[in-house]
Amino acid sequence: MTREVLTPVTQALRDGTITRAELKALMQRSNTPAFIHLSIWIAALCATSALIALTYNTLWIWPAMFIHGVILVHHFSLQHECCHYTVFKTRWLNDVVGNICGFIIMLPNRHFRYEHCDHHTHTQVHGDDPELIPLPKTLAGYFWYLSSIPYWRNKFTELFLHTRGHLTDQEKHFVPKEEHVTIIWEARIMLMLYTTIIAICALTNWWAPIWFWWLSVVLGEPVMRFIRMTEHVGKPCIREMTENTRTNYVMRHMQFLSWNMNYHAEHHYASSVPYYALPKLHEKIKHVIEVEPRGYVGAHIDILRQLTGRSTRADALEQASNGA
Amino acid sequence: MAREKSWQDALPLTDLLKADATPVTLGTREIAIFDTSDGITAAYARCTHGAANLCDGYFNGTHIECPLHQGLFDARTGAANAAPARVPLRMIEARVQGEMIQLFL
Repeated sequence: MTREVLTPVTQALRDGTITRAELKALMQRSNTPAFIHLSIWIAALCATSALIALTYNTLWIWPAMFIHGVILVHHFSLQHECCHYTVFKTRWLNDVVGNICGFIIMLPNRHFRYEHCDHHTHTQVHGDDPELIPLPKTLAGYFWYLSSIPYWRNKFTELFLHTRGHLTDQEKHFVPKEEHVTIIWEARIMLMLYTTIIAICALTNWWAPIWFWWLSVVLGEPVMRFIRMTEHVGKPCIREMTENTRTNYVMRHMQFLSWNMNYHAEHHYASSVPYYALPKLHEKIKHVIEVEPRGYVGAHIDILRQLTGRSTRADALEQASNGA
Repeated sequence: MAREKSWQDALPLTDLLKADATPVTLGTREIAIFDTSDGITAAYARCTHGAANLCDGYFNGTHIECPLHQGLFDARTGAANAAPARVPLRMIEARVQGEMIQLFL
């Protein structure tokens, strides 16, 4: 494949939005920021685990599990960065940590890597972007998505399908044929490990993984769905990077949890820039991207206004521009 | 009849980006000239997976990472070292003559 592809970063260099020297400086890698970040991360997990332990056998365990779950589901953010190799300078560390994160949240790392490649190639393009979350048609559809029920249904379906040795037609589009066997064995190993843990729980009557892990993840997942919607939902389904992605200004603790992924437009502009350099990249390109100053809540206000008819739906604009 | 290959001036040595990938266009050919820790090498600049221009990616002195999907190539040999890249880069013989980097094209 040698056709010219104009990536957002190449476009930005051509437009003079950023100079090559500035871009290359931002791309420099280091292990130190990630080790510091990860140390605080693990301390936070220990603290929220302690909350669950302290509230065991009381009703307070439910809010404790929710708080713990919010951190657990943010392993997605860390895994996402690892799949871009922008957490650690040492490349294999990204693979190791990405796989651990994927195991925690049941998102097979190799499969996600390939799927995410297509998301970056075809961001917000219907039929080509495998991670595209459509703008809901109704309020019921909005809350149905946030419930995470369709998300888990898809994830379990994928896992069992891969375990049985099958990939969907869409997956065959983004996973090269040589890698099908990797995807299948990745799912089998993951399911085998989960099954082993459940068997150990049943044999020993030790159910801590339910409370400290799986139930907490389920309780926290709607928060991750809420955040994932703010990245592209309600933005036009077109290829223009300056319009199809949102950057959200969020509070520092949420920025910490998301490994700076609230700087989402910057990430799509230059996905080789490590997570800790995204705020600096933001300063360089904030005048050419979509920024939501009210953060995640503001993005959802925008989405809700569109789906309740108080502002024009982004997909209506798209249909009009397509002449539909 | 195919044109005979010959050494062609590609880039003044002073314009080479130190320890980085320098984009060069010769006719319609987009080329990346790498200042590697083992010397100067050159390859066709487009990623063999997604066709992004590799010169815009992260270079660590030996390996170039695609700016679009972070596939990895050895800039000294062209070998594809990490997914999603699988096909090696087409390398171009390079040499320094005086103050000029020449490519055998």
